[in-house]
Amino acid sequence: MTTNTGRVLRINLSSGKVSTETVPEGIARDFIGGRGYGVKYLYDEVTPDTEPLSEKNKLFLVAGPLAGTMAQAVSRWIVCTKSPLTGAFARSVCGADFGAWMRFTDYEIIVIEGKAAKPSYIHITTDSVKVLDAHDVWGKDTKETQSWFVSQHGSNTRAACIGPAGENLVRYAAVVSDRRTAGRCGTGAVMGSKNLKAVVITAARALHIADPDAYNTFAKEQVNIMKNDGGFQSHKEWGTTSTQDITNAIGIYPVRNFRYGQQIGWQKIVGAEYRKLRVGDMGCYSCPARCGKVHTVTSGIYKGAHSEGPEYESIWAFTGTIDSDSIEASIAADELCDDLGLDTISTGNTIGFAYELYEKGLVTKSDTDGLELVFGKNEPMVALIKKIAVRQGIGDLLAEGTMRIAKKLDKGSDVYAIHVKGLELPAYDPRGAKSQGYNYATASVGANHCYGYSAQDIFGAPFPRATDRFDEDNADIVIYNQNDTATNECGVICAFAARWGWSALYGKLLAAARGIKVYEDESYLAKAGDRVYNLERAFNIRQGLGRKDDYLPERIRTEPLHTREAQGEGQTVSHSDEFLDKYYSLRGWSKEGIPTEAKLKELNLAYVSKDINK
Amino acid sequence: MSVEINIPPVLQAIINGARRINTNGATIGECVEDMVQQYPVLKPKLYDKHRKLRKGTSIFLNGVDMYPNPLSKLVKDGDKIHIANIILGG
Repeated sequence: MTTNTGRVLRINLSSGKVSTETVPEGIARDFIGGRGYGVKYLYDEVTPDTEPLSEKNKLFLVAGPLAGTMAQAVSRWIVCTKSPLTGAFARSVCGADFGAWMRFTDYEIIVIEGKAAKPSYIHITTDSVKVLDAHDVWGKDTKETQSWFVSQHGSNTRAACIGPAGENLVRYAAVVSDRRTAGRCGTGAVMGSKNLKAVVITAARALHIADPDAYNTFAKEQVNIMKNDGGFQSHKEWGTTSTQDITNAIGIYPVRNFRYGQQIGWQKIVGAEYRKLRVGDMGCYSCPARCGKVHTVTSGIYKGAHSEGPEYESIWAFTGTIDSDSIEASIAADELCDDLGLDTISTGNTIGFAYELYEKGLVTKSDTDGLELVFGKNEPMVALIKKIAVRQGIGDLLAEGTMRIAKKLDKGSDVYAIHVKGLELPAYDPRGAKSQGYNYATASVGANHCYGYSAQDIFGAPFPRATDRFDEDNADIVIYNQNDTATNECGVICAFAARWGWSALYGKLLAAARGIKVYEDESYLAKAGDRVYNLERAFNIRQGLGRKDDYLPERIRTEPLHTREAQGEGQTVSHSDEFLDKYYSLRGWSKEGIPTEAKLKELNLAYVSKDINK
Repeated sequence: MSVEINIPPVLQAIINGARRINTNGATIGECVEDMVQQYPVLKPKLYDKHRKLRKGTSIFLNGVDMYPNPLSKLVKDGDKIHIANIILGG
C-alpha cells in the first residue's frame, strides 16, 4: 500500500506563481493533517516579524485527510494564519462543502502568499489554477458573491469567500463558505489584506485515499454506530439551538457584557421558542445531522430575516450581550453577520462592550452617530453590525475589537474589555465553569470555547474524571480537553460528532486514508495532539507572548458573578497563578509558560527550542 | 445496595442544588427510579413519554459510558453513577 500524505497547492498572488508539492512523510507522521499541518507550515513559513495584515503573512486553508469520503461528519476544514486580532497563532474551523471540494481536487493544503495587485479570486479545478479578476463581486455580500461564482463556473462550484468586512479589514472578519464561517481570529481580514475575495473550486466527486477497501469498511461501521447514537439523534433534532436553556439554568449565560450569568426572562429565548420560527435545516458535506437550523422571521420590524442559525454562540451574541430577548433581532443579526462576513462572537461581544461604554458615559451619542446604546434595545445592535462591516462612523473603532478599542479610548475602559490575548470571550461565563474559563485563558488562539470545551463542567461528563465546576484545581482537565481537541482537529472531524460513539474508529480511518498504520494507536494520536499544542505555544512564545497573556479579563477575576436564580452567585476566578503554575508544570513548560527542551525533545520538536529558549 | 448518583449542573438547578443523591437498587434503572421517587421533578427531565431515557442523556458507571441500554446494567454497593447531558455545546 502506498502512502497518501496530502498535496499542497501554493499560490503567490504577488508574482502569480503557482506550484504544487507533496507533504513529506515525516510531517505526516508527526502532525497527521488538518490543524497539525496548519501549525507546522505556519511555524516554518511565517516569521515573527510578519505583520498579520501585510503581504508577508500567509493564509493556509487545510482540509482533513478524511474529507470528501463516505465517512460522516469528517469534511470540515481549517484556516490557519497569524491573527490580526491577537498577533498570535490563528486557527478557525469551518463546515459546509468546501473541505470535501478541496479533497476532490486532491489538495489538502492551499497556501496563499503575497498580495494581488487588484481584487482577485483564485479558481481551482482538477487540472488548472487561475487567479482571476474579482471586480464584479468586490463589495458584494457573501450570498451574492457565491451565487455569482456558481453562475460563472457551474453548479459543481464551491467557494470560501469574504464579505465587505474582510475587504475593509475588520479585525474579526470571517471567511464564509455557503452559510458556514471560519469565524474566529480575523482570518477574513487576512484574506482581504491580500486583495483576495475568494478561493473557488469547481470539481466532481473523487476519492484520494491510500486504502479504499479498508477505509470503506471502517466508514460503514462508523455510519452504523453514529445513526444509533442518542447524542447524534438529539443534535439532529436541535443542533445547538437550546444550549441557552442549560447555560441560563446554571447561571453561566453572560449578560450585559459579562456582569450576570442569567438573563431575566430567559424563558423567552429557549430552544423551543426558536423552533417556532424554524423552517428547515442544513448540514455539512456527508453529515446526516444537519445541525444548522434555519429560521425565518415572520412578523415585526425584522420580518423576512432568514438565516441558517443562529446557533448557540450567535443566539447569545445577539441576546445576552445587550440583554435583548428578541429572537427576531438575533436572527436578523446572524443573517447580517454571515452576509457581511463577520465573526458573530467577536461582533456580539464588542457590541456588548460598546453598550457598557455608553452606559458608563465613556462614549456618548455624539460618538455613536446618534444611536442610543441602551441595554435591552436591539435596533442599535443591528445598526452597529452594518457600520462595523464598512467601518462607518463608530463602526471604524468597533472594527478593531475590544482590546484595541480600550487602548484607543483609555479612560479606564480596559476593565470592560472582555477578551483574552485580544480574542473576545464566547458564551460561557468562566466564573461558573472554571475549566472552560481556564481553557479560554490558555488556548493558543485566545478565548475560544471550542479549543478545549469543558463538557465536564457544563454537562456533567465524568471523563477523564468528574469535576466540580466551581473548583479551580482543574489543570489536568483543561489539558485533557485541549489535547483531545487538537487530536481530533488533525483529522478535522466535527467536534460534536466526535462524541457519537465511533472514537475507536478514528485512528483506523486515518490509517486507511493515509496508509500510515501507526495512527491506529490511540496513544500515538494523543501524543500528536500534544505536539500540535506545543508547536502552537512555541509559535506564540516566538511572537513574544507568554505567561502575562494567560490571564482571564480583570472583570472575571475580580468582580463577583451575579447569577440571579441560579447557583454560583458571587463566584470569581481567583486562583489564576496557582492554576498556571500547575498547568505549566503538567504540560512540561517552565514557570513562564515556555515549553522546556526536554518536553520539546519528547515530542520530536527539538528544532523549536532555539527559537524560544534563548 | 447503596449507590451514589451524581447530577449534572442543569438538573441540580431544579433539586435545590443537590449534586449527589444516595440511592438503592440492583441495576442502574432501579437506582434512577429510586432517585425519581425522592425527586419527582426529575422524572420528565430524564424520561420521555414512553418511559425511555431522553435522547442525549448519557449514564456512566464508575466513569464508564454504559451505552447502549444503560438502565439494565447491574450495580454493586459503593458504585458511582454519573448522569450527563452531553448533547449540546456550540
